Amino acid sequence: MSAEAGTAIAAWRRANARRTILVGVTGILLVASFAVDVATGPAMLSIQAVLRSLLGIGGDPMLDAIVRTLRLPIALMAVVVGAALGISGAVMQTILNNPLASSYTLGISAGAGFGAALAITIGAALPVPEAWAIPLAAFAFAAIACALVGSVGRMRGATPELLVLAGIACLFLFQALLSLLQFLASPEALQQIVFWLFGSLLRASMGKVGIVALVLCIAVPPLLADAWRLTALKLGDDRAKALGVRVDRLRLRAFVIVSLLTGAAVAFVGTIGFIGLVAPHIARMLVGEDQRHLLPASAVFGALLLSAASVVSKLIMPGTVFPIGIITALIGVPFFGWLILSTGRVR
Amino acid sequence: MTQRPLRATRRSILAAALATPFIGHRAFAALPPITDAIGRTITLKAPAERIVLGFNYEEYTAVAEPAGWDRIVGFGKTLWSDWRPFVFKRYLVPIPRLADLPDVGNTDDNSFSLEKVLSLRPDLVIMAAWSFSSLTQQVQQLEALGIPVMVIDYNAEIPERHIASTIAMGIATGNEDRARTLAALYGDKLADIRRRIAGASTKPKVYLELGQGGAGVVGNTYWKGMWGRLFDMAGADNIAAGKIPGAWGPLNPEYVLAADPDAIFIAGSSWANHPAAVVTGFDAGIAATRASLAPYAKRQGWPELKAIRAGQLFAIEHGLSRALFDYTATYYIAKQVFPDRFTDIDPVDELRRYHERFLPVKFEGTWMARLTPSAT
Repeated sequence: MSAEAGTAIAAWRRANARRTILVGVTGILLVASFAVDVATGPAMLSIQAVLRSLLGIGGDPMLDAIVRTLRLPIALMAVVVGAALGISGAVMQTILNNPLASSYTLGISAGAGFGAALAITIGAALPVPEAWAIPLAAFAFAAIACALVGSVGRMRGATPELLVLAGIACLFLFQALLSLLQFLASPEALQQIVFWLFGSLLRASMGKVGIVALVLCIAVPPLLADAWRLTALKLGDDRAKALGVRVDRLRLRAFVIVSLLTGAAVAFVGTIGFIGLVAPHIARMLVGEDQRHLLPASAVFGALLLSAASVVSKLIMPGTVFPIGIITALIGVPFFGWLILSTGRVR
Repeated sequence: MTQRPLRATRRSILAAALATPFIGHRAFAALPPITDAIGRTITLKAPAERIVLGFNYEEYTAVAEPAGWDRIVGFGKTLWSDWRPFVFKRYLVPIPRLADLPDVGNTDDNSFSLEKVLSLRPDLVIMAAWSFSSLTQQVQQLEALGIPVMVIDYNAEIPERHIASTIAMGIATGNEDRARTLAALYGDKLADIRRRIAGASTKPKVYLELGQGGAGVVGNTYWKGMWGRLFDMAGADNIAAGKIPGAWGPLNPEYVLAADPDAIFIAGSSWANHPAAVVTGFDAGIAATRASLAPYAKRQGWPELKAIRAGQLFAIEHGLSRALFDYTATYYIAKQVFPDRFTDIDPVDELRRYHERFLPVKFEGTWMARLTPSAT
């Protein structure tokens, strides 16, 4: 008995060590991808020039502007947004017990898209500058979408089925409103709306990176504190209840936190959706279902995926920037497919 | 802390290196302050030597001549090379530099790259008003680096903006006299049109449609800017005014039948990959233009329209709707609706003369034509 327990504990420790190594390796890849992201761009600067500028010894205002005010915020934005979307996706999939759940499924992104389109259409009539009006409106409507779904959950009990149905109703509502705006918008505004929906990191600035990072720092600790309860939820509602988890409250709490996290992330970069679906699956295949490992791993994979997509979007057509939403899907899908086929245990 | 003196030295060396090529220009008197198309003021010490040009290439060429392209270090290439490939090819001959000049992208397809612009180290960025309005953040970044941004606007079809844009490009490139000649010519021609149409008792109804997709597609029509303003200047009554939500968009085909315009214009061009489009421009022969225009006369219900029965169906080059030489298109429209007031005016010849005087390419092809050969 004790010998058996000893081997079990040893096996568990080995598994844990393996998980830590996997996340560590991904972390190293992420740092590499980030470095390449800062080092590449249509200006074709040399590595030395980029390094000098980063260290503050470049002395050339033009180089500093390129490296520090253009490339650095974009590269950082890819990392924080990717991490935010990865974590949100993982939690959504867990609380809804649904491998297809993401901020897309529940209308959060559609709400953000409508908010952004509204700000673009009204444009000059707003009291805030457009660079901030669009993310503010996008976040506000993501929060409204979250409130709609959440209040249905509060009224009728937050079962996964009910939340998904309410979310899909929300999705169609905001899509219809978005189509209405697109129909009414002037051609210039229409074009801007379409580009916003494509998703782009080009609108990044250090201030915006700071806001997403701050939201991430606020959202992650309560999620990690709930990690074992979320893991228990994966056993099914009844067993979780038997373990003392108040499932409805947990589900609503987690739902609100990740909705706001998603809202903050997509508000600045547009709907880059695919990350939230794929990063948690990749993480789950590699580290398993235990949320203490799954949440950080999803964050790291999300960040890596978006950072790599940012690099690829610059390499495809040097000189111009390819819409990043297209790239995330194009590089994410084959990798995802390879993982499914090679491990055969996606759920 | 130890970095600071080092950085200061580097900066002063760099400043000295940058200043050297400009010492020659310091001999000139300082340039007058420039007022751009939207009323912003730009101050340059000397004519710009490293310009990024976003749009309105023909206008720049008219003002600064082919030699003025030596001042250009990057431009929004695809709007010219892809939208107007045959026009671009013509300008490549007198300005071979166009082939190798870096592309900075454009706002129209979201490809504008501020990083590319900065890497070219410009001392002036010229951009169209429609780009400027969607690049608020980038403009701030350019100005923070001390790179002035000058706005030009020929799309709005507001005469004051045409004139301000032209003169601004003239001062900024050291071609003020030539720019003022161009602006005066444009102003005189508009005044001539106004004088001729003054006192007209009727406002003939006109309709214009973009002929990019051919007669089977309902193309955009224009209201506030571009063709819409040219119709106003020609004293015509644009049936689309107030009937489309934005400045351009398709008009309900039924409304065209109900309005029964007196003259119909289909805007053509030499678009690539649009086989059904109405062809006009340098390489369009009159037969090709008429053949591509003919299907419009047979559209559902159109044979009964006043305009079609009277032979008032025309092809007109779309590029004439946002250019300094667009007064020739205004002449053309005005002449079709008030024929007896413009008997001594040949709009096509006006356009030819503009090319001979100001542009480095030979004028040829079909730019404005009636479907039926009976009258011009």
